Amino acid sequence: MAREAEAVARHGGLARGLYGVWAVLIYVFLFAPIVLLVAFSFNANQYGTFPFTGWTTHWYGQVFSDYQIKDALSTTLKVAIEVTIISTVVGTAAAFPLVRSRLPFRTGVRIGMTLPIMIPGLLIGVSLLILFTSVFHFQLSPQTAVIGQAVYTTPFVLLLVAARLQGFDPALERAASDLGANTYKRLRYVVLPLIGPAVFAGALFAFTLSLDEFIITLFLIGGHNTLPIYIYTQVKFGITPEVNALASLLLAASLVLIALAFVLPIAARKARRSLRPRRA
Amino acid sequence: MEDVAAPVTPARTAETAPGRGVGAAVGQYAGFLPALLLYGVFFLVPLGLIVAYSFWQTIDYEVVHDWTFDNYRYFFSVPTYAHTLWATLWVSFVATAITIAMAFPFAYWLVRYVPRRWQALLLVLVILPFWTSYLLRVYSWINILGPEGAINRFLRRIGLIDQPVSFFLYDRPAVILVLVYLYFPFAALTLYASLERFDWNQFKAAMDLGAPPRTAVTRILIPQMKPGIVTAVIFVFIPVLGEYLAPQLVGGARGVMIGNLIVNFFSGAQYTRGAAAALLIAGLIVVLLVIFRRSLQVEDAYGTRG
Repeated sequence: MAREAEAVARHGGLARGLYGVWAVLIYVFLFAPIVLLVAFSFNANQYGTFPFTGWTTHWYGQVFSDYQIKDALSTTLKVAIEVTIISTVVGTAAAFPLVRSRLPFRTGVRIGMTLPIMIPGLLIGVSLLILFTSVFHFQLSPQTAVIGQAVYTTPFVLLLVAARLQGFDPALERAASDLGANTYKRLRYVVLPLIGPAVFAGALFAFTLSLDEFIITLFLIGGHNTLPIYIYTQVKFGITPEVNALASLLLAASLVLIALAFVLPIAARKARRSLRPRRA
Repeated sequence: MEDVAAPVTPARTAETAPGRGVGAAVGQYAGFLPALLLYGVFFLVPLGLIVAYSFWQTIDYEVVHDWTFDNYRYFFSVPTYAHTLWATLWVSFVATAITIAMAFPFAYWLVRYVPRRWQALLLVLVILPFWTSYLLRVYSWINILGPEGAINRFLRRIGLIDQPVSFFLYDRPAVILVLVYLYFPFAALTLYASLERFDWNQFKAAMDLGAPPRTAVTRILIPQMKPGIVTAVIFVFIPVLGEYLAPQLVGGARGVMIGNLIVNFFSGAQYTRGAAAALLIAGLIVVLLVIFRRSLQVEDAYGTRG
């Protein structure tokens, strides 16, 4: 450690300072647009932009009394809940063979499972649009949007749960079965408590992603609105303070959910660690 | 469960345990079934449809199953479309280069100068915007770049201009800026993961042996960072290629990318032409992935590694 510090010192305090300044600029770059958006939502200026003419919560009141927004909110939540259930079940189930079995073509599988996240959502949207309208002749609805979103969100659950499974010793499960636990009991008392936090975090990620998903939904939802689609149709007519307020609320919801997803697994780990001495 | 007798090699247990034959071998893959269903029917089949449609034709709003290159010929025969394709590649290239150039010193700072216990938190702060609404992250830039936005107002305040200029909005630089903003977290995350794994003793050894810092960076650090850099490039470049919203909201007429063309084709019910345009991107993505498949560290890109 001392030698490393020495090497850093040789690198110079100037370099340290410059890198530090760069990092601060990066954080400003990342958060300034978001902070500004929230600031505008409290701005009395009725055009929803500069200048700041005073502080108000009026626009938030409007958001809550707007029936179109209420409608979009209920669609958004319904879609998000269905997407969360599908992707949590499918992603968790797939994580087991991914980690435990000896898969051929490992590299291919690894890349393949991130493909739905990595490729532009536009491609998922238009290809499913063809499938639903020209092959299945489905009416576009929130249900078709659910399927499109689930294709996109499932890999996140899969990656999270697989990472957790990788870190857990299969000997624990064998020990349980040696002690007479059947498959259900092994799942209930050994596997689930260990991967539970990761599954829960995955579900929260899926829910948040669904809440915010835009491009796939745009193609597949037909005549309905989710909140992002509603915001988009409003933005086309120009910025309004009401949309700024709605946007801020959506931001706040995402941030809270994601903070939970990051914090919960850590909290669970800490709780388990603090329990250990008492059990011994 | 007669696992007691089984040898203690974890991966083999299922197969070697007595009393389970082929069933167990199939059973160990059973978890894939729902995923195979979801991704077979709703991911692979639709992508296959895109391929087929791109070689079919739309005549009087009816899709005719004649195999032909007409859609591609049409795409490249319209100068605006061909030009948009090159513009898209150029914008993606520039945006990726800027993103990596910005993320590298940042990741370096995080690994080298920040105490370990703060690194996780500072990293989460970088990924946080990714988890907020994509639409809103684009939208929020209109407040800054727009005619009544922060930059224009600032320039007017200091007297540099007296009319709002639209250069900052509705042009290619605005698109690149927003794209960098959108995909910076991926680059920062992958580069951080890769720098964090790097053994700095090798770096020190090189300097102890008399290598100037610059040489140590180019000869020791960069070569070992290659997989990380490749992953960062891929995870920025690929989604940017099919970007629709950023050019739509801040690009104006000059910032159009191929994603906008695709959407226009599809909303005009020209599915076959749209499919051809979409396949141009998809094909490029496949080529990139095949070339770089060995260096990709997919677990790093979304922060799900352990």
